[in-house]
Amino acid sequence: MNDSLLFLIPLLPLFCAVINLLFGMRLPRLFAEVMAVTGVAGAFALTLLFWGHAEGDGSRAVLFTWLNSGTVDISFALNFDRLAAPMTLMVTGVATLIHLYAVGYMHEDDDYARFFALLNLFVFAMLAIVLADNLLVLFLGWEGVGLCSYGLIGFWYRKLENAKAGTKAFLVTRVGDVFLGIALLWLFALTGTLSINAINAQAAAISPGVVIVLSLLLLLGACGKSAQVPLMTWLADAMAGPTPVSALIHAATMVTAGVYLLCRFFPLVSLSAVAMTAITAIGAVTAIYAATCAMAQREIKRVLAYSTMSQVGYMFMAVGAGTVAGAMFHLLTHAFFKALLFMAAGCVIHLAGDENDIFKMGGLARRGPVELFWAFLAGAVCLAGLPLTGGFFSKDGILLALFTHPDPLYRVFWLIGVVTALLTAFYTFRLVYLVFAGDYRGTGHPHALPLLMRWPLWPLALLGLAGGLFNLPVFVGGGEALHHWYGTMAGREVAASHDVEWMLIGLAAAIAAAGWLAAHWRYRGYRPPLENPVSRFLLSGWQADALVDRLFVRPFTSMARFCSAGCDRALLDGTLDGLARLVSSWGRMLVQLTTGRLTTYLSAFAWGFLVLLGWFLLKLVNGGGH
Amino acid sequence: MSTLATLPQFPWLSLLVLLPLAGALLCLLHSGRPAECRALALATSLAVFGVALYLFIYHGQGDGRWLLYEDSAWISRYGIRYVLAMDGIALLMVLLTAFMQLAAILLAWRVERQVAGFFALLLLLEAGLMGIFLAYDLVFFYLFWEVALIPMFFLISVWGGANRRRAALKFFLYTLVGSFCMLVAMIALYQIHGAQTGVYTFVIGELLHTQLTAAQEGWLFAGFLAAFIVKSPLVPFHTWLTDALTEAPAAGSLDLTGLLLKTGIYGLIRLAFPLFPNATAHFLPILGVLALVGLFHAAWSAYHQDDIKRLLAYSSISHLGLVVLGLAAWQLTAWEGSLLLMVTHGITTGALFILVALIRERTATRSMQELGGLWGQVPCLAFFFLFFSLASLGLPGLANFAGEILVLLGTFRAHPVWAVAALLGVVFAAAYMLRLVQGVIWGPARSERTLPDLTLREWLMLLPMALLVVWLGLYPAPFLAPLHGTVAVLLAGGLP
Amino acid sequence: MMIPFGHALAFAAALFILGLTCVLLRRQILMILIGVEIMLNAASLVFVAASAYWRQVDGQVFVILLMAITAAEVAVALAMVVYLWRRKRTLVADEFNGMHG
Repeated sequence: MNDSLLFLIPLLPLFCAVINLLFGMRLPRLFAEVMAVTGVAGAFALTLLFWGHAEGDGSRAVLFTWLNSGTVDISFALNFDRLAAPMTLMVTGVATLIHLYAVGYMHEDDDYARFFALLNLFVFAMLAIVLADNLLVLFLGWEGVGLCSYGLIGFWYRKLENAKAGTKAFLVTRVGDVFLGIALLWLFALTGTLSINAINAQAAAISPGVVIVLSLLLLLGACGKSAQVPLMTWLADAMAGPTPVSALIHAATMVTAGVYLLCRFFPLVSLSAVAMTAITAIGAVTAIYAATCAMAQREIKRVLAYSTMSQVGYMFMAVGAGTVAGAMFHLLTHAFFKALLFMAAGCVIHLAGDENDIFKMGGLARRGPVELFWAFLAGAVCLAGLPLTGGFFSKDGILLALFTHPDPLYRVFWLIGVVTALLTAFYTFRLVYLVFAGDYRGTGHPHALPLLMRWPLWPLALLGLAGGLFNLPVFVGGGEALHHWYGTMAGREVAASHDVEWMLIGLAAAIAAAGWLAAHWRYRGYRPPLENPVSRFLLSGWQADALVDRLFVRPFTSMARFCSAGCDRALLDGTLDGLARLVSSWGRMLVQLTTGRLTTYLSAFAWGFLVLLGWFLLKLVNGGGH
Repeated sequence: MSTLATLPQFPWLSLLVLLPLAGALLCLLHSGRPAECRALALATSLAVFGVALYLFIYHGQGDGRWLLYEDSAWISRYGIRYVLAMDGIALLMVLLTAFMQLAAILLAWRVERQVAGFFALLLLLEAGLMGIFLAYDLVFFYLFWEVALIPMFFLISVWGGANRRRAALKFFLYTLVGSFCMLVAMIALYQIHGAQTGVYTFVIGELLHTQLTAAQEGWLFAGFLAAFIVKSPLVPFHTWLTDALTEAPAAGSLDLTGLLLKTGIYGLIRLAFPLFPNATAHFLPILGVLALVGLFHAAWSAYHQDDIKRLLAYSSISHLGLVVLGLAAWQLTAWEGSLLLMVTHGITTGALFILVALIRERTATRSMQELGGLWGQVPCLAFFFLFFSLASLGLPGLANFAGEILVLLGTFRAHPVWAVAALLGVVFAAAYMLRLVQGVIWGPARSERTLPDLTLREWLMLLPMALLVVWLGLYPAPFLAPLHGTVAVLLAGGLP
Repeated sequence: MMIPFGHALAFAAALFILGLTCVLLRRQILMILIGVEIMLNAASLVFVAASAYWRQVDGQVFVILLMAITAAEVAVALAMVVYLWRRKRTLVADEFNGMHG
């Protein structure tokens, strides 16, 4: 097949998005829905069709020149290689299921055209990131996903808080984008190209100090999109959006774009040990920060949001530990089980009568369809890392890479990873117990669950539980398929003796069990939430919002006030008005001479005449002296 | 000088200037008959647009020489000649002017008071703008510079908002002081050149080779700069613009932000830089810093506004700061980016001013305190508002981004620190634009009244602009093509 | 017999100063107008005297022209005086200060 047909993969969702955006409200509802789903499903099918093109060095497709000026020559170009292919498949696959779910979820909402248009547009933008051949196309997707996230978080725009949450997400991620932008400009100035492969190929020629700075810039850019410390405050608020949005954008795909970016630039980033340590450190700090926050959250979606941040932190750690394959492995399994958890949470919220607070749920295992409980539990055991699930293997791979890293500092990160795993297991089962066990504590009336909201859960549950098969470690009899698929792109070969591996795997199993037991002990019977400063501190996400407000937002607004009211209004306009007043007061003084009286004028005339006459006479007399 | 000058050819450039003048006169002759005035104005601006489009299609590939050149004697006693010349930059500006003027005429459709006068002034303004972009003789340039100023003064002071007198006077005084400085510098240059060579001429290309001492060059450059910096406008000479844009009638704001501001930057490129290369070289770093200060100052100020029109006025200043920054970088890519950004900014901000006018017509307010929830009431209008706001904040794939990224890529090569600072300004642009969007189209609806959505005339204004924004964002090559040669020549210190 | 030219000039000057004094000191518009007329007549006298002295007819021609103009001027001025009287029922010049700045 022709390589340039690769463009169909992202353009199909874009086409459907545009059609839905322009004509959606005039089309029959069913048509809009079917088109949205088929657009994404078509992209999925195309990815499968093109799978062979990714092997070897991958294939490249150029559509047309975007910008050309002087030495700048940037095209719309795609690069479908071994790193991009599994990610493309995951994005389109998960998105298809979530689109199906969304058809059920939105069946009572009249604004479906905008919703599906934005969702399709998002898939397009995400595919642009994944498939981008050059940094500018990546940036196009990067900003595009931000835009769709903005539009979808604030989807129910009549509540101003939703719109505000969208704005916050856009702005905070835009801060990260600035760093990515600086990296883009700098890389272009250094290498004269924006092609990612060309940059990676030339990376070794860049001086080491610059590589460190560039890697840190890329890292900060990734932090913005992936909600890592310090640019993490937007993700929890982003849960204001519809649940399919949270599942697709804020769990499975967009937030992992940062990880993907770092993997894309791995040849560059991995040149600097400092940058790798920084990546790991950011991941570790976020992982434990978000895990602690998740333990105290009351809203089901916020728990999951913080757990997403925490899991993405693991992926960052994996990149930092040098294993791209490990990071992508966890990215894939996490996408499956987290999308599953969000979608199941959407069903739970439906059943609880649009109630978000887990302390007002309970007993839903018996109230709702039992398959929902099993689906949620499948996601939960993956997240908690119970042995043999997908999440267990992918997380274990990361911990192993951290443990075996030659730098002793990585042992600290490993320890953080282990503690985080314990916390993760605890808050996951806390969620399960509070939502499903005991008696119903709420007051809401359950909504009916459409069929389309139920069955997309099953493929995801299956993928999540069996996800370990993608990259099963050798010592348990697997083939490390994913690792081999990536080949030279897989990063560091994680080598350890089987004893160490067994020890770590045992430890991981014990930790997951310990977390479960702790949650079992604490939440087996219902207990109301703790009301102490620590839990309030954790509930507010370590007061990060207040900190950002004090450090950035308030100085910014007072600066704005100073510039507008102080500088322009008072200083510049004030000076000018003062000048004007000065001139007009002179005018008022002079105007006194104009009395309007005839007699004044006449006498002035006469005296002036006399003075002139006198002057002439004087001149005559003097002149006569000659 | 080009060989084209010797070839007899159809006077397309004169047509560009004279058509709107004729239209203005005809409008005045039909005063008292509004419908005919509207039709006349529309027909005239359509004809001008047709000419501009023809020139763009058939002469839009420049190799750095004049694309068209017309020269004939005018007042030979003082060496003043009737010279019109068009290079790639002028072509782009002419096209933008003709396009925006169509939108302005459509926007002015609903003006009730003294219709003939309004349209005559709009057309006179167009003639002045065309003249500025095409004149190749200093006296001629100055003449059109003032011709463009006077209609705007009357548009603001007669058809403007509540504070129109004050705003119009401020606009007039600022620009007049600037242009007087320029006039003095022009005459001085003329005299110096005449004394040196014995040839007294105002033709720009011949004045290029005047030998100036450093002090002379500095003062003359400052004289020109005074006019162009005020018009651009760079902080701290910008407060006239916020007032003028806020008070001007809708079509006036559109022309002011979309076109008149560009004349300042165009003057820098066409006159100040080539005529005084040494002074320019000394001044560029200051210009860059001024541009950055303007970019940040305006972005911050914009965040603090409640009147959406004033907010957009500040956003204009901020964007033009980026344009000037690109020029100050003195680098091919940055220059082409700046010129592209001038065009795209004209379209996006112009469209936003149109939308503000439409919102004002429907809700009778421009205050963000009193607006909100328009998405639910007028979805098409709100969609366009969102679309152009996103374009304005530099979303990739839409028009402004193409210009911005070229400016930044070019500037980073010459002055990395400037580019990084400008990039930070991008966050602030997002901050005030999103605040605007949030205040206007999201949130609960503010009134129970049903508001009418876009009419056919309004679609006709906005849809071409939206399409152009997408086109410029995805495939700006046709608009960059005429620039390549011209910019290279200008950067080398010459004129085509 | 000829009146010496100097006498005629001295007389005209005295007449002119009288007229000027009248214009400057009186407040009544009518009196001011009369003062102006006296000054004009003084000027006419100088013309006539000079004409006789240099034996040139131009001066006398000019005086006749001046008389005609004066007549017209008086007609306009008196009409305005009547108008002013109707407006304010007074002819004191200082009452009419509408040009006050």
